[in-house]
Amino acid sequence: MDAPVPLFAMTGISKRYGGVKALDKASLALHAGRIHALLGENGAGKSTLIKIMSGVVQPDEGSLEFDGRAVRFPAPAAANDAGIVCIFQELSLIPDLSVADNIFIAMPPRRFGLIDRKTQRRMAEEWLALAGAEDVHPLAPVKDLPLSRRQMVEIAKALARRPRILILDEATSALTAADVGKILAVLKRLRSEGLALLYISHRMQEIEELADDCTIFRNGCNVASYPAGTKSHGEVVELMIGREYSHVFPPKPPPVQAATPPILEARGLTWTNRLRDISLAVRPGEIVGLGGLDGQGQRELLLALFGVLRGVTGEIRIEGSPVAIGGPSAAKAARIGMALIPEDRKTEGLMLPMSVRDNLSFAALGGLSTGGFIDRTAEARAVDEMLRLLAIKTEGIDVPVATLSGGNQQKVVIAKWLMMAPRIILLNDPTRGIDVGTKQEIYQLLRQLADRGVAILFYSTDYDELIGCCERVLVLYDGRIGRELAGNELTERALVGSALNIATDTEEAGYAPAIGA
Amino acid sequence: MSQDQAKPAPFRLAPVLRSIDPAIATAFACIVALLLVGSLYSSNFLSADYLLQQIQVGSFLAMAATGMMIVVLLGQIDLSVPWVMTVGAMMSTAAAGWGPVGSWCAIPIGILCGMLFGLVNGIGVAYLRVPSMIFTLGTNAVAQGLMIMRTGGAAPQDMATAAMRTLATGRVVADIPNALWIWMLIGVSTVFLLRRTTFGRSVYAIGNSERAAYLSGSRTRRITVLAFVMSGALSAFGGVLLAGYSTKAYQGMGDPYLLPAIAAVVLGGTSILGGRGTYLGTVAGVILITLLQSILSIMQIDESIRQIVYGLTIILMLLLYGRSAILRT
Repeated sequence: MDAPVPLFAMTGISKRYGGVKALDKASLALHAGRIHALLGENGAGKSTLIKIMSGVVQPDEGSLEFDGRAVRFPAPAAANDAGIVCIFQELSLIPDLSVADNIFIAMPPRRFGLIDRKTQRRMAEEWLALAGAEDVHPLAPVKDLPLSRRQMVEIAKALARRPRILILDEATSALTAADVGKILAVLKRLRSEGLALLYISHRMQEIEELADDCTIFRNGCNVASYPAGTKSHGEVVELMIGREYSHVFPPKPPPVQAATPPILEARGLTWTNRLRDISLAVRPGEIVGLGGLDGQGQRELLLALFGVLRGVTGEIRIEGSPVAIGGPSAAKAARIGMALIPEDRKTEGLMLPMSVRDNLSFAALGGLSTGGFIDRTAEARAVDEMLRLLAIKTEGIDVPVATLSGGNQQKVVIAKWLMMAPRIILLNDPTRGIDVGTKQEIYQLLRQLADRGVAILFYSTDYDELIGCCERVLVLYDGRIGRELAGNELTERALVGSALNIATDTEEAGYAPAIGA
Repeated sequence: MSQDQAKPAPFRLAPVLRSIDPAIATAFACIVALLLVGSLYSSNFLSADYLLQQIQVGSFLAMAATGMMIVVLLGQIDLSVPWVMTVGAMMSTAAAGWGPVGSWCAIPIGILCGMLFGLVNGIGVAYLRVPSMIFTLGTNAVAQGLMIMRTGGAAPQDMATAAMRTLATGRVVADIPNALWIWMLIGVSTVFLLRRTTFGRSVYAIGNSERAAYLSGSRTRRITVLAFVMSGALSAFGGVLLAGYSTKAYQGMGDPYLLPAIAAVVLGGTSILGGRGTYLGTVAGVILITLLQSILSIMQIDESIRQIVYGLTIILMLLLYGRSAILRT
């Protein structure tokens, strides 16, 4: 690159965890006033690289240079002081504190040695506005905010530290299209103010819109660095996954006949003010999508169907007969055969410190044991079959599931439910923050399952995914099904439109989302 | 870079080394150190007879610690151990006073009473969602009150039955204390329970993430109740053995067992937050605590000083390795 001396440079960085090489002589250079996109599959080493940049982990070898001088960051605080601030993929907010408390958690404004709440609140408002989240109340407890709002608070918190280098690791993966638009505008403004930005995302459109430079990582090395826009979409994906990139979505079969009786049916489901009179039907072999803006009741709907929420009114029918589902253990029973792939794999889907084996077999343990005693051979066989079926990459079945990459962890969450051969699968945003290759495998898997007669209800924040995978999409708005899109109506424009058109009298009104070209 | 050079060799050794929990290794190292310190005071300290006697005494603690471990693995705690032990001891000796039938079923009655308290604990924690730290403390106080009420007016029979004495002090097979056989039996069953049953797997799962376990369709509340019932039963059985050892049951006999039971579990490498730990560690913890108490009593120092040294040593050992390890991701 013909740019002047980089603001920050890393050269020859290697890092290994146990026997696994996370980074192998990787390098990266960031320039002031430019947005640098980092691309790569999960497990390619991006997360480790930015953890080294921000002082969370120490490299085994290699050097870091800031402003032309060699630096070391023994702790995150050192990197912070130097002006490197990172927004991690895992949210770092404390749920029981208010938004303002969270933003100023490390350095609250003080008066006579005590926290000056008034100033803190005023400053929090300013930073929230700068982050494009003026609709978030600074005194609201973080736990009451939906995931997308929390992510915006996270960004405000990072800005409040006045960074010179801002790292965003999948910072938009939980956001709706409208929020992403706001964030992109904020990032462009920061660029013009002379910040160096390192941007990690699996969303191609965002990278195309934002990035000045791109670096692609694969297997712990930087395989290519190039000015943005000089490589085609296909080339980029090929470099990332190192294999031919063809159709992302498997072809859709002809729609399931309307005469087929539905296996899962809901009538008038209502829960507090989050779900209002929802009726839907899913037939065997169908993939039905749930769309709409984030936080319109999609998650609650899946939880209500799975029997997790208390006080749901309305009726759930399985194969035409009404059932009472008292909880997950009732939902997974053979006569219902329902599985839920939860939203947050780290706290809801997996027991992270436990082994891959224990996690995989846990949901299906009833079938793998007699009288409470686990049949070890049957368990090993079932685990092995799942590892092969989903091509889960792991060092062994006895390593903690936490050591797997994000994409492989998600595969474990899915596999543990497939092991009990469910008839109905509910998915809550299963591809959030996972790489293109794994996404593709998941799409294919869903299609195979549907072909075998499984009914799938699929919530996704990614519109492409809904269009590519689903026969029908139910667009939720404010706890109701606003519109049902099927067949040719199912376009990104229609999805965004029906998610917003109804929203004439809310805060999102009047905001034009950036529709991917 | 040193890792690079060491790369070819450890292929066979590494899995073996990795499978040994550093906490358990440290616990056993501490046991050896205590034995050496003890042998400085008395040459008897290393004799087989003395050690068997220690293990015999330790097996009462082991019962309570086993129950405590199961509950701690869940991410809960059982602070009702001291008075549930006393309940077990006092109820069984009282049953012995009902004549031949009573003395025949004395031990089951003691255990059954412990299970009842465990059931109350479990329901309180799992269904009423009261934090176990406060709920079990409450049941402990209730148990204490009930026992004092019983002995207030009348003087019930408090002598241990012959069966209880035999279990606690006899040596029927191979000159090994019966109490040790019992501990081995309970230990093997616990290891089997934790490793080979759906119950055990669920205990670890709930301890790691109750939410994930629940969403996976595990009956988390039932498992929690069951774990507390086991803890109650084991504590009460420990009390029964203790009564057999000291030939009678008395008020407050379980009081010195609360801290040791928790300390034995934690010193054995079980995470106090739940989800992680092995029974071997608890065995090491129990032996460690028992030897520590024994050495302190040999040293012939003032009781108050002994208590201080005892408490400080436990804190010191916890500082050494009992702190929760950071999960490497």
